[in-house]
Amino acid sequence: MSVVIEVEGLSKTFGNVRAVSDVGFTVTAGEVFGFLGPNGAGKSTTIRLLLGLYHATSGRVSVLGRDPTRDVVAIHRRVGYLPGELALYPKLTGRQHLDFAARVRGEVDHAYRDRLVDRFSAELDRPVRTLSKGNRQKIGLVLAFMHRPDLLILDEPTAGLDPLLQEEFARLVRETVAEGRTVFLSSHELDEVQRVVDRLAIIKDGKIVVTDTVEGLRRAAPRTVEFTFAHPIDPAAFAELDGVHVLSSADGRVRLALTGPAGPALRVAADLDALDVTARSADLDELFLTYYREHPTEREVRDAR
Amino acid sequence: MPAEVTALDLRLRRRSLLGYTAGIVVYAFVVVAIYPAFKDDTSLNQFTKNGNAVAALFGANGPLTTPAGWLNANLYANFVPLIVLLLTIGYGASALAGQDEDGTLSLITTLPLSRRRLVADKLAALTLQAVPVSLATMLCVLIGHGFGLSVSTNGLIGVTLGVVLLGIDFGALALAIGAATGSRGTALGISSATAALCYLISSLAPVVHWLHPARYASPFFYAVGDGQLNRGLSPTDAIVLLTVAAALSISAVAAFDRLDVH
Repeated sequence: MSVVIEVEGLSKTFGNVRAVSDVGFTVTAGEVFGFLGPNGAGKSTTIRLLLGLYHATSGRVSVLGRDPTRDVVAIHRRVGYLPGELALYPKLTGRQHLDFAARVRGEVDHAYRDRLVDRFSAELDRPVRTLSKGNRQKIGLVLAFMHRPDLLILDEPTAGLDPLLQEEFARLVRETVAEGRTVFLSSHELDEVQRVVDRLAIIKDGKIVVTDTVEGLRRAAPRTVEFTFAHPIDPAAFAELDGVHVLSSADGRVRLALTGPAGPALRVAADLDALDVTARSADLDELFLTYYREHPTEREVRDAR
Repeated sequence: MPAEVTALDLRLRRRSLLGYTAGIVVYAFVVVAIYPAFKDDTSLNQFTKNGNAVAALFGANGPLTTPAGWLNANLYANFVPLIVLLLTIGYGASALAGQDEDGTLSLITTLPLSRRRLVADKLAALTLQAVPVSLATMLCVLIGHGFGLSVSTNGLIGVTLGVVLLGIDFGALALAIGAATGSRGTALGISSATAALCYLISSLAPVVHWLHPARYASPFFYAVGDGQLNRGLSPTDAIVLLTVAAALSISAVAAFDRLDVH
């Protein structure tokens, strides 16, 4: 598998503020790589460093085998970019934007472009300032995809799109990687990530906290188990088990988050004469939220899995 | 893909370009058409006699009733450069810094165009924006021959070229400051203040003795302030104005290479 993006020890400082710090990850050809994190975590900064828009304070970046500080034109020829806060020229129409980019790129398949316009039912003939955010976003997506780039770098691509178009976007992404091309997308929406992403990195406060496949994360995600007892019980018996975290305990109901095997908790519950048990399967949302909320150290992250 | 960015920026500025050009045509035509009413009014010359500093402040130096004196005092020493500078400084500040603040600069900086190429395209757009107002004024003045306002063609072409180059110089200054700071406001402010200072130096130097040597430091002196309407643009004038433009263009390229585009 050839490497499409390689980032090592990447840092960017604005004045005294460290926007990203020692970021590293690798994206290989033909995969959908998700870049996840809360707002302000450093997603857009990292993306701008990949595109040579920002100059890194330190670290190494390679995109399609080239260095964005030296070979930026060659990179841009093969990359499609959708900015996080897409700004178009308010007075121009969507068609004028697409024609302009096509003339500069010079190698645009117009039939493919028209198909994209149809799929997203993009409005091309009105000045952009009269369009809603979602309609502008469609133009941004066509701008990113229309020259069939080898690598797509999409910053929050589905922001403002309705659910039907989000589904259409997911299909387009799958088609793109099926052709051996690569998609790097940032998001703060878990739904989007679960739907399209193969592998992902979570960034928090400018640092990568975990990189894994969605399946790997799902295996590590906590399951929620709830026991009901005839009488109020002391949850301490559960709390001292490995891989068990007591979420709540009241009126004979105990809610646990399980990250280890279920046996020990079941044995404790059996000894206490549990009346009922319900279990919810692996919950990625819960896992993401722990990454988002807290500042887990490497050790805590390992423990959580 | 020849100069697509130039064409795009000109299209975005089309309306203000047309507006200013139409405005200067009306104004220049009035200036030309009322000349016959003033040309024999020698009392008007009292205004600038003995080096009146207030008159000089508005760009009026020397006799006002000669064709060249009339055109200098009403057009070339003040209004025409002012309008051209409004256009070029405004564009220079918006072309990189302003578009970055609007967020649209990332649309073109992520296309397969080098930053050097982008600055070159923007400088071409800057140059083209200095032309319509200067050229329209020149045409109005040519019509002025019918109103007894005869100036040498060489002088008219010279001062027109001077105004265009002056516009490029200050526009390039705004472009370079914008590229260095990423701030439209800073670029506008510093460039406008510098232009105002240079204008004052060049206009007041003939009547304020201690300012006399300073006029060599003002681009206005090499464009409109040294009798260009009578004698044309000298090679020295052209070289100075072109050197300033080249130095600022190179600075803009160097600064833009280092700019973080949002």
